[in-house]
Amino acid sequence: MGEITHRRAGMGERDMNRKKLYPWYFASGAAVLFFLLCFLPGILGIAYSFTDWNQFSDEINFVGLGNYKRIFAGGSDYLTYIGNTVMFTVVTTAMKTVAGFALALLLTQKFIKCKNLHRMIIFSPQVMSYLVVGLVFKSMLHPTTGFLNNFLRDIGLGVLAKNWLTDLQLVFPTVMTVDTWKGMGYIMVVTIAGLMSVSPEYYEAASIDGAGFFQKLWNITIPLLKPVLVNVTVLNITYGLRVFDMIYSLTNGGPGNATAVMNTAVYKEFSKGDLAMGTTLSSVLFLFVLTILYFIIKSMENSEVEA
Amino acid sequence: MKKTVKKAVGVLLAIVMLAGMLAGCGGSGKESGQAAEAGSGTPKSNVTLTFGSHQSGLPTSGIVHDMAREFEAETGIKIDFQISPDAQWRDLIKVKLDSGEAPDIICVDTPIDLASGTKMDRYCVELGDQEWVSRMDDSARSAVSADGKLYGITFPGAKMYFYLYNKEIFAAQGLEVPTNYEEFKVVCQKLQDAGITPIYEATTNGWHQVLPLFETGGLWLAQDPDIYNKLNNNEIDLDQIPALLTIIRQLDECAKAGYYGTDYLSNAWEGAKEAMATGRCAMTIGELGFRGDVEKDYPEFTKDKLGAFVMPWGDNQMIGVNPASNAYFINKESKHVEEAKQFFAFLARHENLQKLQDGWLDISDLCWAEITSKYSEEDQKFIDSLAKANVVQTSVNYIDSQWMDVGKDLESMYTGASTPEDVLAAIMKRRNEQAQLQKDPAWVK
Repeated sequence: MGEITHRRAGMGERDMNRKKLYPWYFASGAAVLFFLLCFLPGILGIAYSFTDWNQFSDEINFVGLGNYKRIFAGGSDYLTYIGNTVMFTVVTTAMKTVAGFALALLLTQKFIKCKNLHRMIIFSPQVMSYLVVGLVFKSMLHPTTGFLNNFLRDIGLGVLAKNWLTDLQLVFPTVMTVDTWKGMGYIMVVTIAGLMSVSPEYYEAASIDGAGFFQKLWNITIPLLKPVLVNVTVLNITYGLRVFDMIYSLTNGGPGNATAVMNTAVYKEFSKGDLAMGTTLSSVLFLFVLTILYFIIKSMENSEVEA
Repeated sequence: MKKTVKKAVGVLLAIVMLAGMLAGCGGSGKESGQAAEAGSGTPKSNVTLTFGSHQSGLPTSGIVHDMAREFEAETGIKIDFQISPDAQWRDLIKVKLDSGEAPDIICVDTPIDLASGTKMDRYCVELGDQEWVSRMDDSARSAVSADGKLYGITFPGAKMYFYLYNKEIFAAQGLEVPTNYEEFKVVCQKLQDAGITPIYEATTNGWHQVLPLFETGGLWLAQDPDIYNKLNNNEIDLDQIPALLTIIRQLDECAKAGYYGTDYLSNAWEGAKEAMATGRCAMTIGELGFRGDVEKDYPEFTKDKLGAFVMPWGDNQMIGVNPASNAYFINKESKHVEEAKQFFAFLARHENLQKLQDGWLDISDLCWAEITSKYSEEDQKFIDSLAKANVVQTSVNYIDSQWMDVGKDLESMYTGASTPEDVLAAIMKRRNEQAQLQKDPAWVK
């Protein structure tokens, strides 16, 4: 083993290439497709963000950082949208992870009956379309005719009946809760898969040593689930930053622009005909997602090494 | 045992899937069979036209749907209506038109020749050569034309929005019709004290709350008869029109005073009929035809129970006349342009126009001279007695295109997130942005 390592380390780059199993051109098909369909449009999109491209004129002029200045200039609405997007992402990621993880723990316990049925029920919102969920909740949360307020009034808790989707203080928490309700099932399923792969021997050994539930959770479950949790966080963050359908169908960014996020703003700019501004906002979002992903994946690599 | 059950379930599922696939194939086979059959008799009878519209673009009574069914019975051409919420339609259709995914027939608001309108001349088929064109009123023709070419068909006559009020409630409370803002507030306060929501407002559709701002063009014209031109030439801006800010402030004042009730930010315009017919609310902004619409759903609440008065915002006393309404256009990219033209010609037949007018409950008048209006003598006398002024959105650029955004600005003001001054500033900013974007010569020099 030591000899092989030594020989490998001593190999020149040419030797290494020759020893590879497949020649590079085997990957060229995929590379060309990736370049044409993913890379090029992305770069073009970023390039357009430096222009005044719009649907009213065929001319496209270079405007430098003009569009970016408009976004980051003080007092612009775009900063609010960015703030909203970040808040939505952070809060829903935390809520979904905690709720999904808690449900996964619960639904892997021995004393729960009909586990698969419960899992299926909790997972089922995931298969519904965001628009459908949005519209259903919109009617359920209507202050006078909605199910929630009527239910609260019927059980004598009329004080808690609120304007869920129009009260400035409540609208964002409401939207984020609905989104968590829809998304936590998926996180639960992924976490359950992770939990199943943890060898029971660790728990047995810990039990023999007299560890309690929380000690086992903290010292065995969470460390061993770290790669799964990192993956789940990546998924949640990339979803949260790109959120559109849920907001669009529940509040359409309202009341006013209170719940508007980056992608509703991108959509708005495209519909206004300001295509360059739309691509600028998309580019900002793209760079943002890329940066965050870089750090998360880096930390994931580290954790894999540790594991 | 367990394995056998699993296997059995697997096989069963596979059979169901196979059956589904076969059923799918079978379906298309049948369809093509129908097509072949149709080919021998009436040609192209298997065509389905998609018709995209916002909720308010089609009459709630469903008369256009009924006409589409009659058209299908006659020609075999189906019309598939794709309805979007009012608040989202404008954005949606612009994106769809740009991406080449728009439906065959498109309903949008007119006039289309305003620089800020939806560019239907770019995306739609010219219809100037159709037989029915000459029968449409001049004002309607110009609303669907751009650069002298006609692109659409429209039916509703001039639109006028009034405050409609419940006469019985007014009589019971001893209230008079208000003729200025102070009187209007007094009326609202008395109604509120009596436990009745004074005004039915619905902000979720995005458009209803904006009407007071731009249907009161009479105030703008009273300030300067040439004001619309000056605005379009960028000689003055909206902050030089005191009436506009006054009205925004008054709207805010009424909202804060609770005259719209508590849930108006969740209300939809579709709920207005119920709110008015049950007497839950005493007033709302609507067209005279709205009364017929209410009567259809609530037969005991007859038309004569609702009276009308001019919106007294900013002490306005002129009724805003909108010569244009929404119109239907044929997508240039459509594969079924001829069939769509056939549908328009079908709607424009004299007897069908009459049916449209009779069945279109919320409008009283068609923009087709050959059809007599539904206005009663009393209504006609009332309308004739009023001073009239063209509404702002059909005369001033970059207003109609941001209508829904203004709706959001007002919503934002109602929630306390912004002030009336912010609303005005936002309208002006968007107007300037749009003008710059379109390289309007009055802005970009």
